[in-house]
Amino acid sequence: MRLLIVDDSSIIRSRIARIMGDPRLPSLKIVGMAKNGVEALELFSNAQPELVTMDLTMPEMDGVECTESMARLNPQANILVVSALSDKATAIKALKRGAKGFLYKPFTDEQLIGALLEVMS
Amino acid sequence: MVDITEREIEVFVGAVNRYFAQITGEKAKIRSSFLAEGEIHPPIYDFTGLISLSGRYRGCIYFSATKIMLMRLLLAMQEPRQTDAHLLDAVGEIANTLAGNAREYFGEDMGISVPTTFQGPSERLEAAVRERPYVIMIKWKQYEAAVIIDIAKK
Repeated sequence: MRLLIVDDSSIIRSRIARIMGDPRLPSLKIVGMAKNGVEALELFSNAQPELVTMDLTMPEMDGVECTESMARLNPQANILVVSALSDKATAIKALKRGAKGFLYKPFTDEQLIGALLEVMS
Repeated sequence: MVDITEREIEVFVGAVNRYFAQITGEKAKIRSSFLAEGEIHPPIYDFTGLISLSGRYRGCIYFSATKIMLMRLLLAMQEPRQTDAHLLDAVGEIANTLAGNAREYFGEDMGISVPTTFQGPSERLEAAVRERPYVIMIKWKQYEAAVIIDIAKK
């Protein structure tokens, strides 16, 4: 399965990438990492990932707008929002615009693995 | 600014506790919390991440930490890269996480910016904080940091 990681923090991008090697996850190939929504959309169009981890608070284009655009391009894409924004309204908005799951930051490795497995199922 | 309420302070204390517990497996200790007024200035450590507020709120939230604390936190995240750029990234991400988590209480009407980060003292940082911000002093292991909260409703 092809994975795109979207987050404006390089530390979070690297952390998510490291967790992808966990044996509990199916084989995932990281096809790109983006630090904002504009970069993410370009990579999404070119690399056509089936799975995306999506931050929300980012410069240039936020994650909700980016999620909506990705879902329009490929409604089958599995988009997991990984964000610190902890109000219910934001989670509902992201899910309505095409996200398949929502994980709050800060997260443990186990929580991310669980959320990814749920989204992929 | 309008004085922050006890419940609102608890929201940020909870966010700090959750952050350190999730990332390191060990809660941070709240050393003290106080209103910075008069001669008492909010602390600025080696690295600072600033979040500006918008929507129904104005003001800012910042997280400031010593270099050694951030290096230890990066290690806890199994992040081997420890350049100043990575420490700035880390402090911005922590500020973003604390402010974002606070929206569970304040709601989506509290708009939060992407983080602006600073190394050392900065006039821009000092200018961002108005009079009488609330300070939460944090200790994790032997390392120090602070969360500064300057929130008012529009």
